[in-house]
Amino acid sequence: MATTAPKAGAFPSPYEIETPPGCEGWEEMYPYYALFDERRRETDENRFWFWNSMHFPVPMPAFDVICIDSPYQAVGAWQNRVFAVPPAMGIDYRCVNGYIYISGNPVTDPAKIAERAEFFQQRAGYYFQNWPELYGKWRAKMEALIRELGELEVPDLPEYEPDEVAFGENRNTAFYELLNAYGRALRLGDLMWQHHFEFLLLGYGAYGTFAEFCKGQLPDIPDQHVAQMVAGIDVILFRPDAELRRLARLAIETGVDASFAQGRTPQEIDAELAESDAGRSWLAELEKVKDPYFNMATGDGLYHYYRSWLDDPSIPYASLIGHVSALKAGEQIDRPTEEIVRERDRLAEEYAALLDEDSRQSFNDLLNLSRMVFPYVEEHKFYCDYWFLTRWWNKIREFGALLARSGFLEDGEDVFQLSRYEVAGALDELVLTWATGGVPLGPKHWPPIVARRKEILKKLADWTPPPAIGVTPEAVTDPMTIMLWGVTTERVQEWARQQEGGAVLTGAAASPGVVEGEARVVRSVDQIGDVRDGEILVCGSTSPAWAPIFSKITATVTDVGGVMSHAAIVAREYGLPAVVGTGRATAAIRTGQTIRVDGSEGTVTLL
Amino acid sequence: MSGYTRPLQQLSRSDEPSFGGKSANLGELLAADIPVPPGFAISSTAFQEFVADAGLERRISSAVAGVSARDVDAIGRASHAISEAMRFAPVPDAVRAEVEQHYAQIGAAAGVDSPPVAVRSSAVGEDSADATFAGQQETYLWVRGVQHVCDAVRDCWVSLYSPPAISYRARLDQAEEPPTMGVTVQLMVDAEVSGVMFTCNPVSGDPSMVAINASWGLGLAVVGGEVTPDDYLVSKVTGEVVREHVHLKDVEYVPDPSGGGAVRVDVPAERSERACLDQLGLLRLVEVGKRVERHFGSHQDIEWAIARGGGELFVVQARPVTGLAKRRDKPKPQSAMSLIMSTFGAGSKGS
Repeated sequence: MATTAPKAGAFPSPYEIETPPGCEGWEEMYPYYALFDERRRETDENRFWFWNSMHFPVPMPAFDVICIDSPYQAVGAWQNRVFAVPPAMGIDYRCVNGYIYISGNPVTDPAKIAERAEFFQQRAGYYFQNWPELYGKWRAKMEALIRELGELEVPDLPEYEPDEVAFGENRNTAFYELLNAYGRALRLGDLMWQHHFEFLLLGYGAYGTFAEFCKGQLPDIPDQHVAQMVAGIDVILFRPDAELRRLARLAIETGVDASFAQGRTPQEIDAELAESDAGRSWLAELEKVKDPYFNMATGDGLYHYYRSWLDDPSIPYASLIGHVSALKAGEQIDRPTEEIVRERDRLAEEYAALLDEDSRQSFNDLLNLSRMVFPYVEEHKFYCDYWFLTRWWNKIREFGALLARSGFLEDGEDVFQLSRYEVAGALDELVLTWATGGVPLGPKHWPPIVARRKEILKKLADWTPPPAIGVTPEAVTDPMTIMLWGVTTERVQEWARQQEGGAVLTGAAASPGVVEGEARVVRSVDQIGDVRDGEILVCGSTSPAWAPIFSKITATVTDVGGVMSHAAIVAREYGLPAVVGTGRATAAIRTGQTIRVDGSEGTVTLL
Repeated sequence: MSGYTRPLQQLSRSDEPSFGGKSANLGELLAADIPVPPGFAISSTAFQEFVADAGLERRISSAVAGVSARDVDAIGRASHAISEAMRFAPVPDAVRAEVEQHYAQIGAAAGVDSPPVAVRSSAVGEDSADATFAGQQETYLWVRGVQHVCDAVRDCWVSLYSPPAISYRARLDQAEEPPTMGVTVQLMVDAEVSGVMFTCNPVSGDPSMVAINASWGLGLAVVGGEVTPDDYLVSKVTGEVVREHVHLKDVEYVPDPSGGGAVRVDVPAERSERACLDQLGLLRLVEVGKRVERHFGSHQDIEWAIARGGGELFVVQARPVTGLAKRRDKPKPQSAMSLIMSTFGAGSKGS
């Protein structure tokens, strides 16, 4: 992130944020390097950090921190060490009161940027040229990884090792197997995150470039239309619901639809179906599609409590009930793919027709590239965030269950209140005492820690994190920050203004541009002689009689009028920022007061 | 009939030099089957005839000699002197006779005596597009009776020497050149709702949007900036309303019940806060806007009115959009790959 000429004051220093009452000791949940530590205050305090509310909207449980470390290791590795994105290395994170703030590491040396650009052009170019083939391999890689996760066994600790250990080739004892399984589980997670980011930057980059291009040419185009023009038709994300629709139809065809009555639980439905041949064959059919399509997550996020349809079938069963009753009512429930394709092509053609010839060429090329990368953008969520991650959390739950059976935890779910190192430590003690026959301390050590952390997390959830901390950057230049989080210079300035708390009037953004200057409040046309060069005109409204003063002023603010009012038209003619229809500018602003007129956003700030 | 006037439907683009942009455009719209209220046009020669008949050339040229665009007082004095002289000069008889005849024809076709008409200036020449500037064109609404029509025509001519018009020409270093102008006379629509639409977003420059401003009553309130109109942005591509701001529209202009002119009245509270267009109204406007834009081949600034009672939609004026804000960040045409490279700061010229 470029932080030229840092402005102090708009956002709190990360070192001055107070711990909410009752949350003392929250730091113990997080790694030492995740904290704003006095020993690196000088650098950390002078950077711009923003709250990553997109991925981490609530305080992090200790174990879930792995879903910060691992992705930021992976994204940095690809971005900084593989593709060498010229102006941006990876992203640092810090934890404040359980919330995650991030900050990119910029590359500022022009020679270094040029050096990296060569790597980037070559390597990214290779990916774009070979995308379909590479992406095909990626899918195979992900499926193999998910298979391996499924096959990873979390061994129990037996009273006596079986004969194979005593007499067989495989002479590993359970202590080693258990620690190995835990280590392997963590490494599989790392692998998933590595795969996750292999295509993400380039995929989002291509799509983002198309979206930006559209916004540049067609500033008001709804995001939805951009997405519609690019969206894939036959992507895996749509398959789960397509299968549910097929099963709903099958239920009606085989006469078992009565089981899908409103208000029934999945268990009740399954029990009734199991009583008949037709019902049993429907259940068999369901079983065939559960893997992979029931690996949908019930929520969208990186926390352990997002489960899959397999874990919580109430969501797919509710859909089944809905589909069955819609079909019986004679409704069409199939996704109208032909219509979607027609509409997507119509939108693309009509928008292209509005552009000039050169722009149309870029538009069409970018659209084709975006359509090529978009299956990854849509499908990685299913493979990584849903399919792999929900199963991976369940794998960790198996270790939790083992710790709970051994008295280290009161409940298997409590495993997520320990950091991954603490879990490793608890497992170490568990296998140690299993081996020695000694008395573990864990059952006395961990439960009070877990209880305290649950209490802290609950209280931290009530704290409102500021959108940003540290110094306000002059400009946001990190392409990743802009592309992945939408944190632009304008966004940061808006946050800063909100923090400053200056009075802001809003109106219609009538003529773009931002100007600061002294206000001149003019209440009627006979006062226009008072207007001096360089002032900002603040008035009720203007008429043609006001024409002579537009060559003197630097911006216009009116109480009434729309974007086609006289003041707006003339301001655009003169290239002056204008905000019209503020309702109360002449009442709220005094002559001589310094104000900032943002004619692009439609805001007037009293400074 | 001699050459001072012509029915609107007989005009086309090529008549712009004689009759002004507004009248010529209305003729074009009628030829393209766009609903436009009937009317006639008065040529710029009528104005020249008026100045010559009254012997005003000398007085005018001495009044505007050497005025500066920023000297508000000097402009005011020049304007006052010229306007006073013009107001007492008669409309030439030949012009008056033609006006009388056309006006009677409008009344006969509409089935009313003394039909209400709008009298508007119709700018001529290369400044026709620039004349959007500052709404620097007079409009007289709900004018009834030949005498009042002729007075309004003369008032349009007088407006060529209003302070903003003088200031505008001075800014272009044309203060001393004799201006020319036509006049449009058009049957009035008793508008329940009226407004303006641009066949692009005039603020962002987006060509895929139609921007609509609408308010109650005759068009004066919107054009004059006396109310903050309801503000809509509608996609040409899908007809979706992308933005909708309904404002308080507490005044409107309605025909003066005493007979002529328009009067400003308060809008009852229950109507002032209501949206004055519904989805169907917006779609009809977008359709007409797209047709007008297609016909002229450029973005259009269109004044429209929806008639009280029948709800019929009329276009009362169309002109090219001018003063379009410079597009921000409009990407220069580049190959797709180099655009993607610049997203990552790896453009061909470094970052």
